Amino acid sequence: MTLSSAQPITELLDVETVQSIADEVWPSLVGDGEAFVPVPVAPPAEVVSAWVTISGPWNGAVVVTCAPATAAALTESVLMTRPPTVVDDEDVADALGELANVLGGNIKSVLPGSSALGLPQIGSAPSTGRLDDVCRVNGQWRGQSLTITVQGATGAPHTERNEVPQP
Amino acid sequence: MRALVIDDSRAMRRIVGTILTGFGYEVREAGDGRQALDVLAEGFTPDLCCIDWNMPVMDGLQFVVNVRANPAYRQVTLMMVTTESETGQIVKALAAGAHEYLIKPFTADAMRDKLALLGLLPEEVSA
Amino acid sequence: MTLTATSFDWVRQLVHRESAIVLQPGKEYLVEARLLPMAQQRGLSGVSELVESVRKTPDPAVTRRIVEALTTNETSWFRDGDPFTSFTGTVLPQLLAARRPDERLQIWSAACSSGQEAYTLAMLLSDALPNAATRVSITATDLSRQMVERTRAGRFSQLEVNRGLPATMLVRHFTRAGNEWEIAPALRRMVTASECNLAAPLPRLGPFDVVYLRNVLIYFDLATKQQILNRVRQIMRPDGWLFLGAAETTLGVDDNWERVVLGRGSAYRPRKGA
Repeated sequence: MTLSSAQPITELLDVETVQSIADEVWPSLVGDGEAFVPVPVAPPAEVVSAWVTISGPWNGAVVVTCAPATAAALTESVLMTRPPTVVDDEDVADALGELANVLGGNIKSVLPGSSALGLPQIGSAPSTGRLDDVCRVNGQWRGQSLTITVQGATGAPHTERNEVPQP
Repeated sequence: MRALVIDDSRAMRRIVGTILTGFGYEVREAGDGRQALDVLAEGFTPDLCCIDWNMPVMDGLQFVVNVRANPAYRQVTLMMVTTESETGQIVKALAAGAHEYLIKPFTADAMRDKLALLGLLPEEVSA
Repeated sequence: MTLTATSFDWVRQLVHRESAIVLQPGKEYLVEARLLPMAQQRGLSGVSELVESVRKTPDPAVTRRIVEALTTNETSWFRDGDPFTSFTGTVLPQLLAARRPDERLQIWSAACSSGQEAYTLAMLLSDALPNAATRVSITATDLSRQMVERTRAGRFSQLEVNRGLPATMLVRHFTRAGNEWEIAPALRRMVTASECNLAAPLPRLGPFDVVYLRNVLIYFDLATKQQILNRVRQIMRPDGWLFLGAAETTLGVDDNWERVVLGRGSAYRPRKGA
């Protein structure tokens, strides 16, 4: 395998495609009439992320990031819960994770070759690799900040890590 | 009519389960292919299985292979409900014995349409 | 809800003027759901603001987009089953027997929307006839230019191909194009799409052997329904077939048709001597 053959995500995917995927996912998963709008708002102080990894000719992750309160509201919408029912951390991990999963699966199918999708994870987003290996849409849902990021893995094949530590 | 919803996401199981209950189904759930086989082995024979692909322990494809290899489950309709949507993946699932394939994201109407195709929409069945 | 009663009324009148379609009271939620994303994408806070901005500064392009957002229904493939199983099972064999081998069969999908019905027919025909492309022509028309262009393009989203399209047909007749699915070129060539307003005198079309006029008459008042059925009959072969929506009938509307039971549904044929 030629290491230099790995293309950055910006050559494989554009924000319009990510947006069109979000346009389909939101009404179906989050609720009829719901939408992810690609108009940025001020980022929140504290954020939570859910993501799935993609492994194949391109390696990276599809990450959904928002404030914890937004994540809770999203979960309530996905699970169609009504007061007095509240959602717990497990519900949020599940719902936000599934959102990342469905976005990730559709994004994966646009990439060349065949790739595998990892199981959803939640927490602090993995750090990005090359800065040009990022495709990000800063937007909002119900007026609250939400970002969808398709980012290359750190230590992706194009970076050689063969140095042996000197004694 | 009975359905088994197999997905590692509780949110997804709830969404699919709610849609199917709305169509008059009795719904059981499983979090992976192995759990689903246990449910079948306990004697719950569904008319329909909605099966996610990517799950821990045993994935949806392996579940399909196992069910189709067992003559006791010949009447069970197997529908993939998954985000895997490359042509090759769909072909693989159909070749393994899945009867239908629903791509995520989907709507309740899409589920209804697929069930109608399969003759598994209770109103159709009673017509 | 960001939509006010006055705004709903304005939208209702606009839609009726542009498309003769009637939005009943109670459809406010639909207007809200369909137009709110459009409003937000323009940086407006709600649907009534969108309406106000269009009233203040009329823009035909925006008006058209509003009408199109409200008059498109998500359509299924093989909708209701019977009108398609009876097409291949009964109608097609009879037509092939009744026509000369060099006569092309003419089929009309008369409210084609984004093309699902036309391409459902193309798939069925290509599976049923080895020489479908030379034996049949499918005309697809719609009121909306956007829908006609969509039908021409033959590209569908994941949500759209999920709607009643058997997975085996998806993998055989479509290829992936980015996040969408594109109908095979051979099937796309079988369909010719053009604009047509059924509620006005028709352009030169036909004569047709089979017409699909499904789930569109319901939007019109009785007088318009009668005009449409009359116009359609004028451009059909005397031994042609008309398929309406599952809940629709010519009974009580136009008695120039004979109803034929087909499977669990029915079709209508021009009454002899009409």
